[in-house]
Amino acid sequence: MTETATEMTLHPRPQAGQPKPWAFPAPERATLANGLTVLHCHRPGQQVVAVEVLLDVPLDAEPEGLDGVATIMSRAFSEGTDTLTAEEFAAELERCGATLDAHADHPGVEVSLEVPASRLGKALGLLADALRAPAFPDDEVERLVNNRLDEIPHEMANPARRAAVTLSKELFPADSRMSRPRQGTEETVARIDAAAVRAFYEAHVRPSTGTVVVVGDLTGIDLAAVLGETLGAWTAEAGAARPVPAIVADDTARVVIVDRPGAVQTQLLIGRTGPDRHDAAWPAQVLGTYCLGGTLTSRLDRVLREEKGYTYGVRAFAQVLRSAPDGTGASLLAISGSVATEVTGPALEDAWKVLRTLAEGGLTDEERDVAVQNLVGVAPLKYETAAAVAATFAEQVEQHLPDDFQARLYERLAATGTVEATAAVVNAFAPERLVVVLVGDASAIREPVEALGIGPVSVVKG
Amino acid sequence: MGHTATPEARSGGLTATEHRLANGLRVVLSEDHLTPVAAVCLWYDVGSRHEVAGRTGLAHLFEHLMFQGSAQVSGNGHFELVQGAGGSLNGTTSFERTNYFETMPAHQLELALWLEADRMGSLLTALDLESLDNQRDVVKNERRQRYDNVPYGTAFERLTAMAYPEGHPYHHTPIGSMADLDAASLEDARAFFRTYYAPNNAVLSVVGDIDPRRTLEWVERYFGSIPGHDGKPAPRDGSLPEVIGGELRQVVEEDVPSRALMAAYRLPQDGTREADAADLALTVLGGGESSRLHNRLVRRDRTAVGAGFGMLRLTGAPSMGWLDVKASSGAEVTAIEAAVDEELARFAEQGPTPAEMERAQAQLEREWLDRLATVGGRADELCRFAVLFGDPQLALTAVQRVLKVTPEEVREVAARRLRPDNRAVLVYEPTGGDAAGEEPDAPVVDPIEEEGEDA
Repeated sequence: MTETATEMTLHPRPQAGQPKPWAFPAPERATLANGLTVLHCHRPGQQVVAVEVLLDVPLDAEPEGLDGVATIMSRAFSEGTDTLTAEEFAAELERCGATLDAHADHPGVEVSLEVPASRLGKALGLLADALRAPAFPDDEVERLVNNRLDEIPHEMANPARRAAVTLSKELFPADSRMSRPRQGTEETVARIDAAAVRAFYEAHVRPSTGTVVVVGDLTGIDLAAVLGETLGAWTAEAGAARPVPAIVADDTARVVIVDRPGAVQTQLLIGRTGPDRHDAAWPAQVLGTYCLGGTLTSRLDRVLREEKGYTYGVRAFAQVLRSAPDGTGASLLAISGSVATEVTGPALEDAWKVLRTLAEGGLTDEERDVAVQNLVGVAPLKYETAAAVAATFAEQVEQHLPDDFQARLYERLAATGTVEATAAVVNAFAPERLVVVLVGDASAIREPVEALGIGPVSVVKG
Repeated sequence: MGHTATPEARSGGLTATEHRLANGLRVVLSEDHLTPVAAVCLWYDVGSRHEVAGRTGLAHLFEHLMFQGSAQVSGNGHFELVQGAGGSLNGTTSFERTNYFETMPAHQLELALWLEADRMGSLLTALDLESLDNQRDVVKNERRQRYDNVPYGTAFERLTAMAYPEGHPYHHTPIGSMADLDAASLEDARAFFRTYYAPNNAVLSVVGDIDPRRTLEWVERYFGSIPGHDGKPAPRDGSLPEVIGGELRQVVEEDVPSRALMAAYRLPQDGTREADAADLALTVLGGGESSRLHNRLVRRDRTAVGAGFGMLRLTGAPSMGWLDVKASSGAEVTAIEAAVDEELARFAEQGPTPAEMERAQAQLEREWLDRLATVGGRADELCRFAVLFGDPQLALTAVQRVLKVTPEEVREVAARRLRPDNRAVLVYEPTGGDAAGEEPDAPVVDPIEEEGEDA
């Protein structure tokens, strides 16, 4: 029963106009006297300038038993300097209208500053002091440690975070840093104190192995001079190179249920590891993964959401864990989302059906074309802000990719065919090599999931 | 079309012009040729406050149906066509409005206008029970994912329900209840569309690398023949006394990771100088790492992991200030509450220091610059000021208004509004029931509400 008449005048769908040229921006490079690498880029109109500092301090540099020390150090950068107390530092930063965030991940520590262009110099001075002369006061570090300990139960209670922690533990051997939470566990964080933070800082943080990225409307700003007076004044001795441990992962198909009695939904995280962006098949994998689960019109959501209504949305993605030009890097390949408890079995069955159908029949040319049009077409939108451009520059540096990687990626995507995209996604999401983590009510979902035969099922306490 | 172009207002080089089609559709255009992108934004003047008893969540469910096809657009065609053109899109529903937006590569702008017009004028030709039933399930899963299956997920709903009394149009939040979502019928959806989805109940903004003359021609071509209508009932009155008149309190015992103290305060309505003063007060007290509550609770007392204030700006009812404090392990809510009371009382008496004013204004200015950094953000703000205050130009001067507020005005609004007799308090006490195999008890709610204050 639908209404058939409409009073408006219907017009045929319009055709696109003439595309206007756009290219992913190229950064300019420089090196400060202290060895700090500089990448900068002028983006007219972007009044909030984005600054990213990358420190070559990977998580596997953390001393044994002190997981989380890189995180505590990152947070402690904004807890005072040689001239300002913690409260004064926070006040000065906010007086600039700035935000400062720092976080530690597998490849290194990233410190992000955003500030209106008119106050860039002042804020860079504060950032430089935080990195050059952090006070790491005993009592503030103690407070950060206690805060971190208090945060852990909140994260464990969040179904998505809990699933991620469990999948890492499943995929990687216990002696790999990647198997353990990035920000440490209750046991390791409790051991951290100001002395440990200072020792870690002395051993690993220095300008000569770091990079600063500055992006925004730099009209009227003498960036070389401003950087010279701020981050350029930071000195430290060069350190020794570190060996990088190999990454191994066990992707034998299996199911782990993290039991949450009474949960109304089941959080799904289905994953394994794959190569990083240096892999020749990366563009094909990006295309294929988009077709599988990049948006609500991709294969997974077309069934799980738009046909069955099992979920608010399920996404497939690849997240680089560590990157190296020699092929020893890795990324996490995953499918993530949550489904109503009572349809967990049917939803997984449908997901596997989608994967098998894809492997048997492949992608269509039309799917591939739409994916290319979207992935390439959205670039000018995606990179409107200074922060987005700075984040990609920083990512390229951190992942040891050339500065034109993203620009070239768009050309490579456009040149990737349906057959290559199919092969890449089928290879990436092979059903017999997927580890399934379900955070949900085991008493309701265990039997239906076992019946699917997608791997042995075990249950852990939630 | 009746052009009513107004003198160009300026803010950091941004300008906007206004126009009105014969059917009542208001159009706002803003040119910016720095990047070859264009944003289309449509605000319909309808939100959850227009819903009636027994049909909460209908405005939001309906928003989902707007993506299920119209006369010339198939099932998921809206998403497919926009994404296939290299665009991004979404829609959101709040108390006071529903918005739909696309950001497109500039040469695909006409497609977005055609798509928005097609569903504004012909949605009912495609709407059927199958898509309603499907999107009902999707929305129920959205509710589970964002509210029911996360710790503290229903806090906002509980605070709202206390701050705006039973029967008030803002008593329920846009997500609605499971029972009401189940009850929504195809006829409800049709009636909703016929009542609220009309050109004269909407504002369209187009921002970015556009040719204004051609853009207006396209708008006229695609939207111009959609008939306007005046069947929209006046929204229910949302006015309330400016203070609650007595503290409301609810204690929730649930399996949450830590104790929490939350509170909702009634604040001045959006669009007033007092609302901007309240925003500054909340920023000084609880916006960022140099705020009074952060310094007191997190740094000095060490009773909290995080402490902050947020502001929900509303025009048809008092705005809401939302306090959120997550306790450190071992800390008692009574101690936290006493400290909060002390800080609020001191602030009401002394007001902000000059340094605090400078910081708060600098923070709000940066937030505003962030919102205006994208064409989509600008398009949304222009619609907001056009729909809620009748003048899109106000978007371009909003930050100047915040910068003009005086410390005494900030103190005064804090003294009048941030008082114990003007708040609804929500306390979380963890049950600590983390033992596997325990019976999945329904959340225990212990409402100690003082009812009948101003209701």
